[in-house]
This record gives sequence, C-alpha cells and structure tokens, in this order.
Amino acid sequence: MIELKNVLVKAKERLILDIPHLRFEKGKRYGIIGENGSGKTTLLRVLMGTVLPSQGSVEGLKLDNNVGYLPQSPYAFSFSVLRNVSMTLGQTQNRDELAMEALNKVGLRSLTEARGNTLSGGERQRLGLARVLAVPREVLLLDEPTSATDIRGMDLIEALLLAWFQKTKGLLIFTTHAPAQALRLADEVIFLEAGKVVETGAPQHLFANPRQPKTQAFLSHWSI
Amino acid sequence: MELINTITDLLFGSDPELRQIIAVTLRMSLFSTLFSSLIGIPAGILLGANNFRGKRVLTRLVNTLLGLPPVVAGLIVFLLLSRSGSLGNLKLLYTVNAMVVAQVLLITPYITAMTANLVGVNAATINETLAGVGIRGTKRLKYFLLDFRVPFLTIVLAGFGRSIAEVGAVQMVGGNIQYKTRVMTTAIMMQTNMGRFEFAIALGIVLLLISLLINSVVFRVQKVTADD
Repeated sequence: MIELKNVLVKAKERLILDIPHLRFEKGKRYGIIGENGSGKTTLLRVLMGTVLPSQGSVEGLKLDNNVGYLPQSPYAFSFSVLRNVSMTLGQTQNRDELAMEALNKVGLRSLTEARGNTLSGGERQRLGLARVLAVPREVLLLDEPTSATDIRGMDLIEALLLAWFQKTKGLLIFTTHAPAQALRLADEVIFLEAGKVVETGAPQHLFANPRQPKTQAFLSHWSI
Repeated sequence: MELINTITDLLFGSDPELRQIIAVTLRMSLFSTLFSSLIGIPAGILLGANNFRGKRVLTRLVNTLLGLPPVVAGLIVFLLLSRSGSLGNLKLLYTVNAMVVAQVLLITPYITAMTANLVGVNAATINETLAGVGIRGTKRLKYFLLDFRVPFLTIVLAGFGRSIAEVGAVQMVGGNIQYKTRVMTTAIMMQTNMGRFEFAIALGIVLLLISLLINSVVFRVQKVTADD
C-alpha cells in the first residue's frame, strides 16, 4: 500500500499539488483523470521521486526495479530500438531475447534495428512501454500511456496493461484525459482539479453520478 | 607554382624541420584534445544533466572561462611552471607537456560548455525516462555518452580545431624552440616576422591540409558511429 500524506508541491508561489491524504492499494488499477494542468503528471512524479514535495511524504513505495514509470513523452535513445529496451535488463544473460519479446508485445519487432530517435511519437510510447514491461514489475506508473498513439495502438496498449494486471495482480496507476479509458482500465478513478482531489470512486459509479460540480463540468465535455 | 614547389620541398625535402613541426603540432593537439575531452565531456554532462545548488554560478564560471584569452592562459601556466612557481620543480616549462597543460586550460571550458548545452536540452526527459526504468545517479552517464556519441565527436573535433590553431599560449609556455616546441602556428608567426611570407603561406596551407585530413577521418568515424 502506498500513502501520500499532506503532500504539497509548489512552483514558486503557484500551487501544483495539494493532497492531504491519498492511498493506493496493491491489486488495484487507478485512473487519475483531470484537465491539463490539474496535477496528474506531478502526482506521478511525486510517486516516482523525480519531484520532491515541499511538504509531506510518500510512504510504502520502494523505488527499485519493481517500479516502472512511463513518462508521457518517453525519450528514445539514438542507438537501436532493441538496445533501447535491453538497456533496462542490466547484465541479464538472455537480455536481447527478453527485449525482443517485449518489442514483439508492443508491435515493434520489425523496428528492432532502427535507431530510436527515428521513431514517431506513438512508436516512442510503445517503445517506452516495452522498456517498462521487459522487466517483471509490481507497480506501473503510466503518464497518459496512449496520448500519442492511434486507436490500434491504444487498443494494443490497453490490452497489454490488462494482461499485465491479470498476471501480476500488481498496482497500476495511470493518468488520462479520457474518462472512457478510465472506465475500461481502472477499478478506481481519482479526479484532480487544480492540484486537488475533487472526487474518487469506481468509474461506473462516479461517471454515472458525479457528486461534485467540478466533476460534472469535466464529464459534460465527454461522451462515455 | 613556386608555392607548390615550396610546400613539396617542405614536406618531402631533405630538411626534416617541417616534419618535426608537424609531429610536435599533432602530439600537442591530440594530447590536449584528449585530456580536455576526458575532463570536459563528463563535466559537461554533470553540469547539463543535473539540477543542483550552485549550478548557475558554475555555468557562469565555465562560460566566463570560454572567453579566457590564450595569452592569459599561457601566463597562468607560465607562472605555475616557472622556476619560482608552485609547480616549478616539475621542470615542464618550454616543453610540449607545458604546451599541453596550457591548451587543456583553454579547451576544457569550451568542451564542457558545449557538452552542457547539448545535453541540457533533453536532460529532463532523459532523466525521467531513465528513472522510470530504475537507472539513476552515475549509471546515467553511460547512456548520455552513448546517445550523444555523434555530436560529442563534433565537439571533440571543434576542440582539436581550437588546439591546432592556437598560438599565444603555446608561444609563451613552449618558447617556439626549434626541433623541440616549435609548432605550425608559432612557426608561421616567426616566418611572417622574418618577412618569409611564401614560407609562412606554405606552412599555413599545410596546416589547413592537416585539419582537412583530420576532419575527413572524424567525419567518416561519425558516419560509421551514426549508422551503428
């Protein structure tokens, strides 16, 4: 179980994140939704330790190889796509084989020899996911994992994430703009607005009966 | 025609002086570029890829050193290596090694600043991507080196270009001693002062040809590395 306690993130005087208490339990899938600038990415970065809160703490998350994080725009290194994935496997003996397997899963097997920096935005996201999935992990933190992919890519990534969850029963936390994606992937939705948690709940329930006016306003822009 | 004859004579004639000058020039430039790169590239990565207290001050210091006049660098090294200087007991003054030290002082900030600027542009994304798969701290260095290997070669080449073309510092600490510390640039300056312009032009052309040759080799290496 991961707990955020009194987490406050500020950039100069601007409040980015203000979360008095939030809990993530293993064996569940969490979808963090909200508009641009609502604090979704910062929340993931706080969990990853790449943004340090000015106040508060994150408890219960050990940042080791069990945790994988996929940024919204993952970097693709200028060496081969295969090496872009095998780099995460350290000195593992059959690392090329494992990397190839991960690339196969995300549909990039035909591009293994291509240079990473020649990939498109959607391909980079799939490459990033291959990196994260190449190693067995218990926690996945994904920042809008399908924001640059086409519909086929989105279906593929969602299917992979569901398969990963079925297999590991780990903890999946992802951000998304799209309530429909949260409905497909999440057990619980956390709605953020201006850095604060406005409402949480099971997606079917929350989307059907949003209690807060801000949630209602956000959902009114989407057809689910 | 006469110029070509002079160049041919200088390069392949019985007088070994030019060949000696070329050898000293290459030795000095290659070693100073090597040491400057070994210091400047990792330092530039550390500076460009990390956020730490004092980064702005350090960046300003490196940028200030970019404008260090060669004669000032020469003066500093001269004072350090002279008999009464703190490193005088090394007896390096008026040797190629002293010229290398002065060149390293001049070129390292240049390589550091160029490297820091290069990696700084994508550092946040790279750091976040690497952290996402558990690669943190000094382990990141390897991936910065691999990812920027081609532009790093350009930076090294630019450092070499600065080194081979420099005259003020090497004149001060090398002394332009025949068969010992005379390099292409100091030889050109001396020949010009003596009014032997044709000889000086011939030396200048040879210097350019050496630069062209080294550029061509590095270009080839870059292409092979980029395709790898």
